[in-house]
Amino acid sequence: MAKKIVVDPIPRIEGHLRIEATLNDSNVIEDAYSSGTMWRGIEVILKGRDPRDAWAFTERICGVCTTVHALASVRCVEDALGLTIPTNARIIRNLMNATQVTQDHLVHFYHLHAFDWVDVVSALKADPKQTSAIAQSISPWAKSSVGYFKDLQQRLVGFVESGQLGIFSNGYWGHPAYKLPPEVNLIAVAHYLEALDFQKEIVKIHTIFGGKNPHPNYLVGGMACAIDPNSDTAINIERLSMIKKIIDDTNTFIDQVYIPDLLAIAGYYKGWLHGGGIGNYLSYGDFPETTLEDFKTLLWPRGAILNKDLSTVIDVDPRDASQVTEEVSHSWYTYSKGDGKGLHPWQGETNPNYTGPKPPFAHLDTDKKYSWLKTPRWNNHAMEVGPLARVLIAYAKGDPMIKDTVGMVLSKLGVGPEALFSTLGRTAARGIECKQTAGFMRHYYDQLIANIKTGDLRTFNSDRWDPSTWPDECKGFGYTEAPRGSLGHWIQIKDKKIKEYQIVVPSTWNASPRDANGVSGAYESALKGTPMINPEQPLEILRTVHSFDPCLACASHLFDMHGNEITSVTIV
Amino acid sequence: MQFSVKYNRINIIGLGNLLHGDEGFGVTALNAFRGASSFPERVNWIDGGTQGIYLLDYIESCDAVLVFDALIPVEYDRGVYVYRNEELPAFIHRKMSSHQMGFSELLGLAQLRGKMPKEIVLIGIPPRELELNIGLSPEVSLLMPEALEKGRAIIDGWLAEG
Repeated sequence: MAKKIVVDPIPRIEGHLRIEATLNDSNVIEDAYSSGTMWRGIEVILKGRDPRDAWAFTERICGVCTTVHALASVRCVEDALGLTIPTNARIIRNLMNATQVTQDHLVHFYHLHAFDWVDVVSALKADPKQTSAIAQSISPWAKSSVGYFKDLQQRLVGFVESGQLGIFSNGYWGHPAYKLPPEVNLIAVAHYLEALDFQKEIVKIHTIFGGKNPHPNYLVGGMACAIDPNSDTAINIERLSMIKKIIDDTNTFIDQVYIPDLLAIAGYYKGWLHGGGIGNYLSYGDFPETTLEDFKTLLWPRGAILNKDLSTVIDVDPRDASQVTEEVSHSWYTYSKGDGKGLHPWQGETNPNYTGPKPPFAHLDTDKKYSWLKTPRWNNHAMEVGPLARVLIAYAKGDPMIKDTVGMVLSKLGVGPEALFSTLGRTAARGIECKQTAGFMRHYYDQLIANIKTGDLRTFNSDRWDPSTWPDECKGFGYTEAPRGSLGHWIQIKDKKIKEYQIVVPSTWNASPRDANGVSGAYESALKGTPMINPEQPLEILRTVHSFDPCLACASHLFDMHGNEITSVTIV
Repeated sequence: MQFSVKYNRINIIGLGNLLHGDEGFGVTALNAFRGASSFPERVNWIDGGTQGIYLLDYIESCDAVLVFDALIPVEYDRGVYVYRNEELPAFIHRKMSSHQMGFSELLGLAQLRGKMPKEIVLIGIPPRELELNIGLSPEVSLLMPEALEKGRAIIDGWLAEG
């Protein structure tokens, strides 16, 4: 008889996500339902406010990617007001965005996803000598001596013996789905800790350009930082050389630590190619070399791929009312013209209406409404967004850097391109992309220096700062590719105030419930067909869900009143 | 240079989400405290939001840290709660955001990395309203002066010690 398994909440993600899955007699997942269990509602808070302030509010909806919402927000207001930003502002935003993606991918790999593949407790049994030999065989990274690993292992033993497993306490240690030898586990744990040092350095770039971090400053019309090579308080030579050093160190860390670790770990899991999912991929594109509307200059191309067909990349226009829509046939909202009718975000409505069971409950009524996430569709297709989507689109479009790096990864692992359509492929795509965006950081640094050398120090266009210059009514669209996928902000401005604001975030695309036709979202599809060794320890579910880098905070509410800290796994 | 000083660097951190009523207590307290204080330069003010793991540096990079946060203590009576050092992990039931990395996990990480500050104090108030709303509830607002007074006593003490 079919079993039903409930994992709530999924640990090590931002926000609250519940997965319900049915298993057949051989413990293979037959069907899955993804539910965002808390409401977001930023749209409601923004109504009636000054559009120039919207970025500062949207920056607060997420605990991770503050900058991406600020960026999409200033872009949508600038679009509405017909405002172009100075070259320096475009470059600085691109550099900050490349920094954000690079940092986020690296933190995701080591701090949120690694323990789906790496067994910390096994690392306690590693032989430091062998660990050192393996580390030195895969990378020239300096911290690889026998003594280094021995010392780390001793600290780890002390930590575990003190009973303070803390950060490591939620793992399914010893689970048979873990395949790494103890020595590779120890290398990964070492780099888990080293990556913390890395991430605190890299965010200094946000502090320098954004004035502070977390929550760096953005500005409608440009950036709030002044550039003056000779001033003590502005972006000057000293700060620029500090940025240069951080960028160099970042590239070294990715080339010598992240990529070798990714390849070493993936080598042990290339037989586990589950989790492919819907096979439809979407990217709005990002990193403009001129303006956001000059799509051909985007370093991350815009486009869509359907049914894993890499021979065709279809054009995408998120302004087109028929292309990007959200419906609520399985979401706890009502629409005035029918819940199953997709609405473009400029026509969007946010009327919450919870009709689910009263907590505590055993199961959601998945035939009806079962999530706080709406169901976004592109031309009526369920789409996957994020690194895998972007890498596949760039690959299909023939981007030379992506083609080379994907080719290198596939050949080192000895697998074909079809392996990309999997959980592991998603995880590999994130690493490939991280190497790419670290390169973008260099590119934009060089661009900035070159532009400053022309004597152009402008960072702000004040032409539309005064609301008296605005039309009575206007609307705008702002997009970015956040680390975890396509992010769109759609604004309508009337009488100098925000009339409507709609945000469609990456995790809503990926974690969406079914649509009116019963078609599953990306998480739901990806989980189907996955065999589980032990349903009471749903490591395989975590692996696939984490591979999308879920971020449900901006898809839903933040705080859990009941302190639901411990993931409960229920099997009926 | 301040070689003789015990606490070379003191960080004051406000945690929480301003968009969710009393969830914003920590950040609101930080801003109010900052506006009403003139501490020396070695005292740093950090609006931490809900940044979780990204705040690790602000804990590891100082000798003493004072944190303001909305929290749900074991005993759920209204009031201002102060937890010091080893009292901390056991009392914090609240999960911060940033990939569900709680404050106690942050402390665990700092410990594993051998970079714990000498002193950690958390000042918290149990939230009353967590609905989507900017601004604190009257109940929590009334406790704000007491929370700031306790914060001031702690910082004054650290500064007096050296």
